[in-house]
Amino acid sequence: MNAVISIAKTTIGEAIRRRVLLVILLIGVLFLVIAPGLSVLSARQNYTVLTSFTLGIIQLTSAVIAIVLTVYLLPNEVERRTIYTILSKPVYRWHFLLGKYLGAVGALFMMMVLMSTVLVLVFKIMQKDASMDDVMRLATAPIFFFVQMSLLAAVAMFFSTFVSPIVNIFLSGGVYLIGTLFSPVFQDLSNNKSLSPAVKGAATLVHTVVPNFAQYNIQSGIINRGPELRSVEFYYATIVGYALIYIAVFLIAGMMIFDRKEV
Amino acid sequence: MLRYGLLERALGSTAPRLRWYNRIAIFPGGLCLLNLAIETKNLTKTYKTSSGPQSVVKDLDLQVERGEIFGFLGPNGAGKTTTIKILLGIIDSTSGEASVLGNPAGDIESHRKLSYLPEKPYYYEHMTGMEITQFYASLFGIKDRELCERLLNRVNLGNDMNRPIAQYSKGMQQRVGLAQSLLNDPELLFLDEPTGGLDPIAHIEIRDLILKFRDEGRTVFISSHELSDVERICDRVAIINKGEMVHQGRLDQLLSGGRIEITADNVTEELSAKFRSEESTVSFKAGRLIADIPDSMKPGEVIDAIRAVGGDVVSIIPRRKRLEDLFLESVAGDNVIKGRKLSKMTDDHDDHIGSGESTGTEEEVSS
Repeated sequence: MNAVISIAKTTIGEAIRRRVLLVILLIGVLFLVIAPGLSVLSARQNYTVLTSFTLGIIQLTSAVIAIVLTVYLLPNEVERRTIYTILSKPVYRWHFLLGKYLGAVGALFMMMVLMSTVLVLVFKIMQKDASMDDVMRLATAPIFFFVQMSLLAAVAMFFSTFVSPIVNIFLSGGVYLIGTLFSPVFQDLSNNKSLSPAVKGAATLVHTVVPNFAQYNIQSGIINRGPELRSVEFYYATIVGYALIYIAVFLIAGMMIFDRKEV
Repeated sequence: MLRYGLLERALGSTAPRLRWYNRIAIFPGGLCLLNLAIETKNLTKTYKTSSGPQSVVKDLDLQVERGEIFGFLGPNGAGKTTTIKILLGIIDSTSGEASVLGNPAGDIESHRKLSYLPEKPYYYEHMTGMEITQFYASLFGIKDRELCERLLNRVNLGNDMNRPIAQYSKGMQQRVGLAQSLLNDPELLFLDEPTGGLDPIAHIEIRDLILKFRDEGRTVFISSHELSDVERICDRVAIINKGEMVHQGRLDQLLSGGRIEITADNVTEELSAKFRSEESTVSFKAGRLIADIPDSMKPGEVIDAIRAVGGDVVSIIPRRKRLEDLFLESVAGDNVIKGRKLSKMTDDHDDHIGSGESTGTEEEVSS
């Protein structure tokens, strides 16, 4: 595992210095800071708009960073020939891919910690009467965004083993959009008994293959403070477990392809 | 197991007469087992292209013996890097066999005992020379900072090891590459264009380091276009062209069969016609004869013939065959070779006419 950890550390070091990622991060942080100003325009409650808007910024910024960061990880190593010096050492290809993935997740974590810190600060400044409970509740959302982005990074890493970065951006972005916006629809369709078996089968297939990214967006529970799930911990554990299984599947599939790939 | 190189030196430079399964060599002095660091048999790599299958490496039989510096030569696109990638297990061959240090190519156990320095290597620029060396050390599970320091000192980066790679010159980056390639005390080093694009001082430093590697008993496999370097440091070479082996052997044997240029004055055209043959080139102008003959033609007889007709021998210049000549013969078309030889003869002739002396770079033997 030494090799995996070393490759992951180096990947983090490279990622947090990539200008394009830093610019995206800066734009995200900038929007978080000016978000309270924008919420004045809304007739709705400040709390609702501020929470919804800032969490939306974090989700969007993180998704863009996750895709842009991950799609170039393998191609850059091949183009710069660093992969040859690494693979000529006693390093298996799966070590390399796993190290790269963990490095991407590590860099994502650091960037999301920064955005979450700004989020909490802005929230505390604008919502002076907010309780510690409200702050903690708000801080929970980025944790699940991080799980969501780790899953998205695994999807992008899988595609990067056999498609070019540009194609990968569209593929990973497409999977993320389908999984975020339409996953509940496909879930409903697959459970609808009035539909034909063919339609139900197709809906089930899409719902199974495309990860359900929508379940990690827990902001409605934060905004609409109402009755909670009987066992919220169990629900959280379930969706984290779901992410881990999908991450493992995508990474193993990626490793199998990468193992046979001629670099 | 006896080392081929040592035994061969002890017995003189005679080549093995026979190889049986590429493992036994028969010398005039006896038999010995070959200890090969690299061996390929009928190695072939074919890519599918839009215009059909294209073979980049074709039935390549390669033998690299332990403890030697082996030059792997060929023009761009000859299949050198593809062969190295197959030997390192980065890509698979389409057919044939390849073994490295006794294991199948790509075996992870072999990777513990070999190193690779690619052409124009890139290192993570935010890291220092020390950090990059430690990173590669960690891939072997080595956490010895002193070892990294020692190796960086060995490649003369002791004072710069804590500077970011981004501030390193090309030569310094190449030296970091060599330092990282020594981390595992390798038995076999693959160096792809190790001196390419370096300034003369860095060039000499790297060349000297490679010679030291051999003195330490390591096998060095060099792919290079720097023919003068290869000629100077390699024990054996292989030349490939369009994926096929053209020549493989000891340099002194491959470069045997040189030529001798004899210049004489006051001779007749009839005499010059006497020396003309398929193997020799003779020019005659205003009583001066320039004969370029193979050294197998017995120059003494030519000189005697010149003297017999009252001619004066001006110079006798032995021209040792150079690797550059062999390389061009191997990879260029016949027209290129003939054109080059003729133009060279014309240039030399002009020099003789102009100065009455030989061209400066060759060793001259006055008659």
